[in-house]
Amino acid sequence: MLAESLVTDVILAALSTGGDFAEVFMEDTRGTNLRMLNGSVEEGISGRDFGIGIRIFQGFRSVYAYTNDASRENLLKVAKEAAAALSGIQQVTSVVLERLVVERFNPVRLEPDQVSHKDKVGIMKRAHVAATGYDKQITQVAITYLDTDQHVLIANSEGLFAQDRRIRTRLGINAVASKGNEKQSAFRGPGRHMGFELFDRIDVEEIARDAARSAVTMVNADYAPSGKYPVIIDNEFGGVIFHEACGHGLEATSVAKGASVFSGKLGEQVASPLVTAVDDGTIPNAWGSQNIDDEGTKTRRNVLIENGILKGYMVDRLNGRRMNMEPTGSSRRQSYKFAPTSRMTNTFICAGTSTKEEIISNTEYALFARHMGGGSVNPATGEFNFAVAEGYIVRNGKIEKPVRGGTLIGQGSQILQKIDMVASNLATGQGMCGSQSGSIPTDVGQPTIRVSEITVGGRKEAN
Amino acid sequence: MEIQEFKDRVFTAGQAAGLEEMEIYVSQSKHFSARVFQKEVDDYTVSVEQGVGFRARFSGKVGYSYVEILDQDSVELLVDGAKANAQIIDSADEIEFFQGSPSYPEVVAFNPSLEAVSTEERIEFAKALEAEALATDERVSMVNYAATGYSETEVYMANTKGLEQSFHRNGAIGFVSAVIREGEQVKTGARMVFGNNWDKFDAKQLAQDAVKEATSLLGAGSVPSGDYPVLLRHDVARDLLATFASVFSAEAVQKGLSLLEGRLGQQIASSKVTIIDDPLLKNGGASATFDGEGVATRTKRVIESGQLTTYLHNLKTAKKDGVESTGNASRPSFKSPVGISPTNFFIEPGTMSYDELISKMGHGIIIIDVQGLHSGANPVSGDFSLGAYGYLVEDGQIVRPIEQITVAGNFFKVLETVEEIASDLEFGSPGHRGHIGSPTLLIRDLSIAGM
Repeated sequence: MLAESLVTDVILAALSTGGDFAEVFMEDTRGTNLRMLNGSVEEGISGRDFGIGIRIFQGFRSVYAYTNDASRENLLKVAKEAAAALSGIQQVTSVVLERLVVERFNPVRLEPDQVSHKDKVGIMKRAHVAATGYDKQITQVAITYLDTDQHVLIANSEGLFAQDRRIRTRLGINAVASKGNEKQSAFRGPGRHMGFELFDRIDVEEIARDAARSAVTMVNADYAPSGKYPVIIDNEFGGVIFHEACGHGLEATSVAKGASVFSGKLGEQVASPLVTAVDDGTIPNAWGSQNIDDEGTKTRRNVLIENGILKGYMVDRLNGRRMNMEPTGSSRRQSYKFAPTSRMTNTFICAGTSTKEEIISNTEYALFARHMGGGSVNPATGEFNFAVAEGYIVRNGKIEKPVRGGTLIGQGSQILQKIDMVASNLATGQGMCGSQSGSIPTDVGQPTIRVSEITVGGRKEAN
Repeated sequence: MEIQEFKDRVFTAGQAAGLEEMEIYVSQSKHFSARVFQKEVDDYTVSVEQGVGFRARFSGKVGYSYVEILDQDSVELLVDGAKANAQIIDSADEIEFFQGSPSYPEVVAFNPSLEAVSTEERIEFAKALEAEALATDERVSMVNYAATGYSETEVYMANTKGLEQSFHRNGAIGFVSAVIREGEQVKTGARMVFGNNWDKFDAKQLAQDAVKEATSLLGAGSVPSGDYPVLLRHDVARDLLATFASVFSAEAVQKGLSLLEGRLGQQIASSKVTIIDDPLLKNGGASATFDGEGVATRTKRVIESGQLTTYLHNLKTAKKDGVESTGNASRPSFKSPVGISPTNFFIEPGTMSYDELISKMGHGIIIIDVQGLHSGANPVSGDFSLGAYGYLVEDGQIVRPIEQITVAGNFFKVLETVEEIASDLEFGSPGHRGHIGSPTLLIRDLSIAGM
C-alpha cells in the first residue's frame, strides 16, 4: 500500500487547479473463481486486481481518474491530468493525514488463501451431488465458487487515512430441469462477508436441493395468468422488489438531481403504514456489510421508511453536497475503476405481525411469488418489472398449483402503498446489484408480504 | 515493466515451473467520459488501464490467472495461479493453443481522426445534447443524462506455439435521456449513438429524437390483453437478439443449453430472416482480425433465408463437432476464460421503410422499449415476458401511446413468425457479447397483457 507522504503529495497535486476536495482510493484484491458443470471442474481462474482511483471535487463537479501504475511519477502525473479538467488556483495547500481506527465487525476465521483448491472443489461437489440427486428431471447442474480478498486504502484532503480488508465468499447453484423440449432453471447463491467458514454456517445440500426442487416444480408448471390481481411475495429474495422499485429511488444518486419519485418527500407518507424499511451496512458478516464505505465513512443502520413515512436517503459525499446532507456510510464502488456513489448495502422491509400462513389463508385469489428472479427499474418514473422465478396460484386461502413465466410490472411508489399484510418471517437473500458505480454485493430481504394489486404479465388470461 | 519483458519473464518462470504451454492475452486501453448537468461538466473520468490474462497447460489441463500490474509478484502470481487452477480441472475437454492462421484479414476498426477529436469538442457535444433537448420542448423538465465517451483498446496475444498478434480499435459514444413532465405525468426518452466516425455525431438530431419519443408517450394507457400483431422496433429487436444470441453458440448446443441442438440445415426461421456475423465490418464495434484464441476471423451467415447454416465455434467446440473454428472465440476481458460470442451480428435488412411496415401491419402494436431482459428472458427455453411500451396502430396509423403492458412470447417462435423486415438496420453499443444490430421486424402475433 502507498506511503502517507506519497498520498499527501498526490492529493495536493490533484487540488492544484482549485479543487476543494480530493480522495485517493487504492485497492489490491486477490480472488478465485471456480466453475463446475455436471460434476466436473471446467474452469479455474485466480487473479489480482490492482489500481488507484483519484477523485476531485470542485463544488458539485467531480473528476475521476484511475490507473494501474502505482509509481510516484505516474500517480502525480494522473493527479495533474485529472486536475486539468478543472480550472482555478490552488485553495488547499496542506493536508495532514490521520490514521482512522477502523472498527472491524466482520470477523473472518478461514481466509480464502489458507484453504486449498481441493477443499473448495469439495464444497462444489457436495452441492452438485445434492442437486443432481433430487430428481431425474434435473439434467444439468452448474456450480460456481467465488472468493475475494480486497485490501483498500482510502485517504482524502480532510485528513482521512483508512485501511480496511473485505473478504467475501459465495457459492452459486444453478439447476436445470428438463421435460421434453422444455427447460427451466433455478438459481441459489448464498454468500457472506466472511471466509470459508461460510460452509459451516449454511447447509449446502439443503440449498442445492431447494434449487433443484424449484426447477423441477417450474418445468412441470402451467403458465401464469396475466391480469391485475393480488400478489403475495415471499420472504428472503422477494426483497429484490423493494430493492429495485424503491431502494434505487432512495439513493442520493437519483434523489439529488430531483430525478427520483422520492425527491423532496421526506416526512411524507410514501408507503402503507405497515412498511418500515432500512438499509443496514453494519450487520456482522452479512453479504452487503462493510466496516467503512468506499469513501471511508463508517457504515450505519439507515432507516429509510418508518411506518410508511419517508425518513431518509442513502447519501454519498458528492450528492450530499447537492442535498446539503451528511454522508450515510452508503458510498460504494465495484473497484478502483469506478467513482463511488450512494448505493445499498443490506436493504430490507422489517418484520410485521402477521404470519405467512395467515396471509395465504386470508387470500381469495393471488399469485404467490415464492421466489423472485431479477428485475429492473426506471428511477425517473419508478416503473419496474420483475420475473417471478417460482410462482403459485393461491385460491380460496390455499396454494392451488405452481405457475411459471409471470412478470410483475408497476410503479414502486404505488406498490408500497398497496402492501396490506406483512408477516414476521424476515429473511435475506444475496445478490449482485449493478448500477452507476459497478456491480456490488448487496443483501435484499423482507418478510412475506401481500400487495393488494399488481399487474402480472404472463401468457394466459386470468380466470 | 514493458509487456515484452513481462511476457518473457512469465514464459521463463512458467517453463521452470513445468508448464507445458502458455499464452498471454494483454489488453491496454484508454477511456474518457464526461457527463453534463445544467451546463456544467459534473462528472469527468479518465483512465489508462492494462490487464494481462494468462493460461497454461499443466499435466494436460489448462488453468487461468490474471493480473493488472506488471511486477515480479505478478509474474509469480500468474504462474502459480494458473498451475494450481490447472490441477483441479477434471473436464475432459481438449483445449488447443493455436499456432496462428496462415493469413489474417485486413480490418479497419481504429480511426485516427476520432482519436484526434479534442476533449473540448467531446464536452461541447455533451453540452449540446443537453441544450438541444431543453430547446426541443418546453415540457422537458430535466436532461438526466447528457454524456459522451471515448475508448481505445489494443489487444496483444502471444503463446509458446509461436502465435503473436495485435489489434487496435477505438470508438465513441453519445447518450442523452430527457425527462418530460406534464401535470402528474413523467415520461423519459433516450437515444444513444456509437461509432468511430465523429461526423455522424449529431447532437441536435439525437436530442430531438429522445425528446420526441418522451412526448409521444404522454397520455399513454393500457390495451386489453390478447394476441396482437407486433412491430418490434429495431432497437427492441436488437435487444432480443442480443439476449438470445447465446443459442447460436456451439458451446451452448454441446452442453444441451440450446434448443438449436440437432437443427443444422433445418428451417428454423421465416424465409425472410438472414442473420450475419461479420467481424470484418468496417469500423464495426466488434471488428477484429483474430478472435480470442488467435484464429483469423471470417464473415458467415448463421441463418440464411430461415435455414440454420452454422453454429458459432471456437477451437474446442469445433474439434468436438469435427468442423473448423468459425473464429468466434471470445475473451470478454483479460480476466475471462475463452468462450464463444458473436462479433458484429445482425439481421439482414429488408427493403420496406419503418412507416411502410406500420401500414402493412394495419392493426397491432409497436413495441419501442422492453424492460427486464436480464431477468424476464430465459435463453435456454427462449421464453420471455417483459414490461413494454409503445404505440397502438389502427388502420395503418399510430393512434395512441401505450404503457403498463407486458409482451410475452418465445424467441424461436418470433424467428418463425417474422412476416416482414424493414430497411432500418441499426446497431447498439458493443458489449462483451458482440455488437448486435437489427432492423424493425413485423411479427405475426405476440401475447400482450394489459388491462
